[in-house]
Amino acid sequence: MTFRAKLFLLFTIALLLSVGIVAVGVTAVTRRALEDSSRAHSEALVAQFEREFDRHKQDIVHRVEGVADAEATVRMAIDLSRPKVDVSVYVNDARGVSQSHQLNFLDFASDDGSIISSNESPARFGYKIDWLAAPQNWASIGAFLMKVDTQDGPSLGLMSVSVVRVGDKNLYVLGGEQLGRDFLASMVLPSGMRALLYLNLDPDFQAADLVDESGPVADGERFREFVEQERAQPGARTFRIAWTPDRASAESFHALPLLGRQGELLGALLVGSSDRDVVLVERRIILLAAAVAAMGMLMGLLLSGWGAARVTRPVRKLAEGARAVSEGNWKAHVEVKGHNEIAQLAAAFNRMTQQLSEQRERLVQAERVAAWRELARRLAHELKNPLFPLETTVENLKRAKERRPEQFEEVFGESTAILLSEIDNLKKIVGRFSDFAKMPQPEISTVNLNETVRGVVKLFESQFGAVGRPPITPELHLEEGLPAIQADETLLRRAIENLVLNAMDAMPAGGVLMLRTSHQNGDVDLEVSDTGSGLTPEECDRLFTPYYTTKQHGTGLGLAIVQSVISDHGGRISVESESGVGTSFYIHLPAKAPARPVAAAIEKPPSNGE
Amino acid sequence: MKLRLLLLFAATSAALLASGRAEPARRPRYGGTLRVEIGAIVNSIDPSVAAVNAEEARAKEDICALLGERPGTTGSLAGVGGSGAFRVAEWDAGKHLTLEANPSYRGGRAFVDSVEVQMGRTSRERLVDLEVGKTDMAEIPPEEARRVSEAGVRVAVSRPDQLVALVFVPGHAIPDNAREALSHSIDRAAIVNFILQKQGEPAGGLLPGWSSGTAFLFPTAVNVAAARNLWAQTTGSLRIVLGYDADDSLEQSIAERIAVDAREAGGLLTAVALKAGASGDEDARLARWGMVSPHPGDALAGLMAVLGPMAQVSADPPPPGATPQQVYDAERAIVGSYRVVPLVWVPRAYGLGARVRNWKTPSPGEAWPFADVWLEDAP
Repeated sequence: MTFRAKLFLLFTIALLLSVGIVAVGVTAVTRRALEDSSRAHSEALVAQFEREFDRHKQDIVHRVEGVADAEATVRMAIDLSRPKVDVSVYVNDARGVSQSHQLNFLDFASDDGSIISSNESPARFGYKIDWLAAPQNWASIGAFLMKVDTQDGPSLGLMSVSVVRVGDKNLYVLGGEQLGRDFLASMVLPSGMRALLYLNLDPDFQAADLVDESGPVADGERFREFVEQERAQPGARTFRIAWTPDRASAESFHALPLLGRQGELLGALLVGSSDRDVVLVERRIILLAAAVAAMGMLMGLLLSGWGAARVTRPVRKLAEGARAVSEGNWKAHVEVKGHNEIAQLAAAFNRMTQQLSEQRERLVQAERVAAWRELARRLAHELKNPLFPLETTVENLKRAKERRPEQFEEVFGESTAILLSEIDNLKKIVGRFSDFAKMPQPEISTVNLNETVRGVVKLFESQFGAVGRPPITPELHLEEGLPAIQADETLLRRAIENLVLNAMDAMPAGGVLMLRTSHQNGDVDLEVSDTGSGLTPEECDRLFTPYYTTKQHGTGLGLAIVQSVISDHGGRISVESESGVGTSFYIHLPAKAPARPVAAAIEKPPSNGE
Repeated sequence: MKLRLLLLFAATSAALLASGRAEPARRPRYGGTLRVEIGAIVNSIDPSVAAVNAEEARAKEDICALLGERPGTTGSLAGVGGSGAFRVAEWDAGKHLTLEANPSYRGGRAFVDSVEVQMGRTSRERLVDLEVGKTDMAEIPPEEARRVSEAGVRVAVSRPDQLVALVFVPGHAIPDNAREALSHSIDRAAIVNFILQKQGEPAGGLLPGWSSGTAFLFPTAVNVAAARNLWAQTTGSLRIVLGYDADDSLEQSIAERIAVDAREAGGLLTAVALKAGASGDEDARLARWGMVSPHPGDALAGLMAVLGPMAQVSADPPPPGATPQQVYDAERAIVGSYRVVPLVWVPRAYGLGARVRNWKTPSPGEAWPFADVWLEDAP
C-alpha cells in the first residue's frame, strides 16, 4: 500500500470515526431525552390516575352517603329496628336504589351484617358479611378497594360503607363502583399511551383478567411474567414488552398496585407507553446522521485525496529520485518547495546525490588511473623479461665481433636464435593482451556440458600423469541425463581449460582435480575443485580482476576470460577457497544463453578465494 | 237453577274461607263481560293440537274446560266440544279470544255474558292493568302477590300446588354425593321468604303437606356442614351446570340462589339461562309441575308420569287408590335418589278487579271458575 493510500485511508477512518461518534452521541442524548419525556408522561398519567382514583373515592363516599340519607333507607332502618321484622320485603330494594344513585354495587345489611338486599348478587340475601358488622369507624375509612362477588363472577369494586343507626340497631349500606373498562375509559390518555387494569381475582394469572377499555387485552399472556412479579411482591415497577422484533413495537409499562383494606393485592394499573415515537425519532436522527456522514465522507474523500496527494507529492518525487539514483542516474535532482521537513529532506537528498556523484567521478577517475598503472606495470613486467636477453644477446654479438671474430659466426647463430625466440615470446605476450581485448561474441549451439568436460579432461590427461611431476588424479562426477544447453562450446571449453590449468598450477605437489555437473530446472551447474594450497579472502576478492595474478609468470587474464565467457552466457561464477584445503569454482549456466551478453555477476564467496 | 244457587253458595263460602275475607252476601247479577289477561299464548284451541309449552298447555286446558265439560281428575277432557259453559265468539290465534255464555249449558248459564281473554300479556302489563282497572282477572306471579296486595289490588292465592324442583339430566355423570350435597346446601326457606315473598312453602318431598300430610317427613332445612362434607368427597373440581327457563324470572332467581348456596357450601354450580324447550349441556335444570289432583296418589302418579321420562326415575308410581304408606314409599324412593331435588311449593295467584264477585280459586285439576263469577256492575 502506498503512502498516499495509507494517508487517504487514515483520513477516511478519522472522518468516519468522527461522524460516527457525533451520530452516536446525538442519538444517545436524543434517546435519553425522549425516554425521559416518555417516563414523565407515564408518571404524569400515574399521578393523574391517583388523582382520579382519589376523586372517585370521594365520589363513591358521597354517593353511598346519599343512599344512606335517602328517606327510603331511613325508613328501612327504622323498620329493621323493630323486633321480628320481616326483612324479605326489602329484598329487591337494592336494585332500584343502586340505579337511582348510579352505583354498580349496593348491599343493605342488617345489624349483624346479614345481607337484606344486594344489587350485584340478589341471591345472596341472608348471608352475612362478617367484617361489615365489626366495630369500625367507617366514616374515617373512606372508600377502599374490594373484591366483589357478582352473579357474573368476581369483580373489583371501589367501595364505601355508610351506617344508618336507629336506636341500637345499625343498617349498613355498602355501595361502590366497578373498577373496570368504564373506569379506564374515563381516563384521558395522550397519544401513544394506554392504561390496562389487571384484576387479581383468580388464584393464578389469567389473561382474561387483564383488560383495557375495550375488553380483555390481546396477547395478554405476554404480561404473565410481570404480573406474576407484581403478585409476588406488590409495588410500583416498570417493565418493557417487545411485541415484535421491530424495536418500534416495544412498549414500556408502569405498574401501580391496587391494594385492598388489608393490604392485599386486588389488582394493578398498567400504564403503557409506546416506544414507537422514540424509535422513529431515533431512526430519523440516524438517517440524518447517515446522510450527513455520507456527504461528509464524500467531501472527506475529496479533501483527503487532495490532502494526501499534496502531502505525498514531494515524498513521491524523493522516491523517484532515489529510484533514479539506484538505476545509476547519479545526477538525480528533486525540486525543493517550502521549508518544511519534506523540503529539508529533499534538499538533503539533493546534497547527497551531488556528493555521491562527485565521489563517484573521483572514484572512476582513480580506478581508471589505477588500471592504467596496473596495465603499464604488467606490460613493463612482461616486456622487461624478453628485453633483457635481447639486450644481452645483442651485446654478446657486438663483443664477439670486436673480440672474437673467429667465433662470431658461431655466436651470431646462437644469438639470432635467442633473438628470434625472445621476439616470439614478445609476440605471444602481445597476442594474449590482444586476445583479451578482442573476446569474440558467443556462437550459440546445443552443447552437452558433460561431453565438453570429458573432452577437456582427455586433453590434459597426459599432463596429469606426466613424468617428472607429481600426479594429479582427475575425478569426474557427471550427472546422467544432464540437459543440453544453448552455448558456445568453444568458449566454454576455453573457460574450463583455464580453470583446469589454474587447478593444475595450484597443485604443484599433485592432488585431486574434481569436476562435478548437476542440473536444476533446466539450468546446469559445474564445480571445479582442487586440493591445492587455497587462497586468502583478499585474493578471492580480486581473483577475476584483469591482470591480477598470484602466479609468478601469470598474465592475470585467465580467470578474467573465464568470468567474461560465463557472463556472456548469462551465467554466474563464484569461488570458495580454504587455505590448505583447496579451491572450488562454481559455474551456473542457464539452459538458454541470452541473445546479447550481459554483465556477469560475481558472487563474493562467504570465505576465502583464489 | 237451585243446583246452580247451591253451587254458587258453596263456591262463595269456599272462596271466603280461602281468602279470609268475608264478602257481603249479595244477589248475583247476570250480564257483563269479564275481561281476562293471561301470559300464555294459545295458538290453537283444538284439543288434538299439542301445546308448545307448559304455560300454553295449562291455559289451553282451562279454555277447553270452559268450552267442554270439566276435565276429569286426570286432567284429560271428558266432555264434548261445545257442551261447556261458554262458546267461542271470536278467535284470533295467539292474541285474543272471546267466549260467550252458552245458554244451554247443562250446569246453568254463566252469569257473565261473555269473557274476553287477552293472551301474551307480560306480568308487568297484567299488574298495571289490574291496578288501573283495565282487566277483571289476571294471573300474576306469586312473588308479586304480596306487593300487589299491598298496592290495593284484590289477590286470590291458591294453595301451593306447583312444585319447583331441580332435576338432574340423565347421562351426565354427577356423583351421588354431589347431588346429595347440593340438596343439603339449598336454603329453601330463604327462597320462600325472600324470592317468593312468603308465598309458598319449602319442599322436601314431591307432595305438599296439605295434600299428603307427610311432607314433614322430608327435611327442608339447609345443612351446610353435611353439604361441605359431601362436596369434599367429590373428586376433582366438579362444576355443575344448572339450566333454567330464560323467560321465567322466578326460576332465574331460584337458580341464582342455588348457585350462591352451593358456593357457600364449598361446591361449584353455574346457573345458565335456557331458551324455552331448548336443552344445552346442563347437568341439571329447574322445572315446574302443577298438581293434577289434590289427591296425593293421583298427584304423585301424574308427577311421576312426567318425571319418568325426564329424570329416568325407576320408581313405580302408586297404584290407583293407594294407601298413604304406598304414596310415601313411592315419594321417598324418588326423593332418596337425589335425581329430583324438590325445592319449593308455589301457589297460583290471581289478581281480581273490584267488580268481580264469587271468585273461587281453582284447586289442582280445576279450571278457571268463570261460569260462577258475576260482575258487580253488571246491568
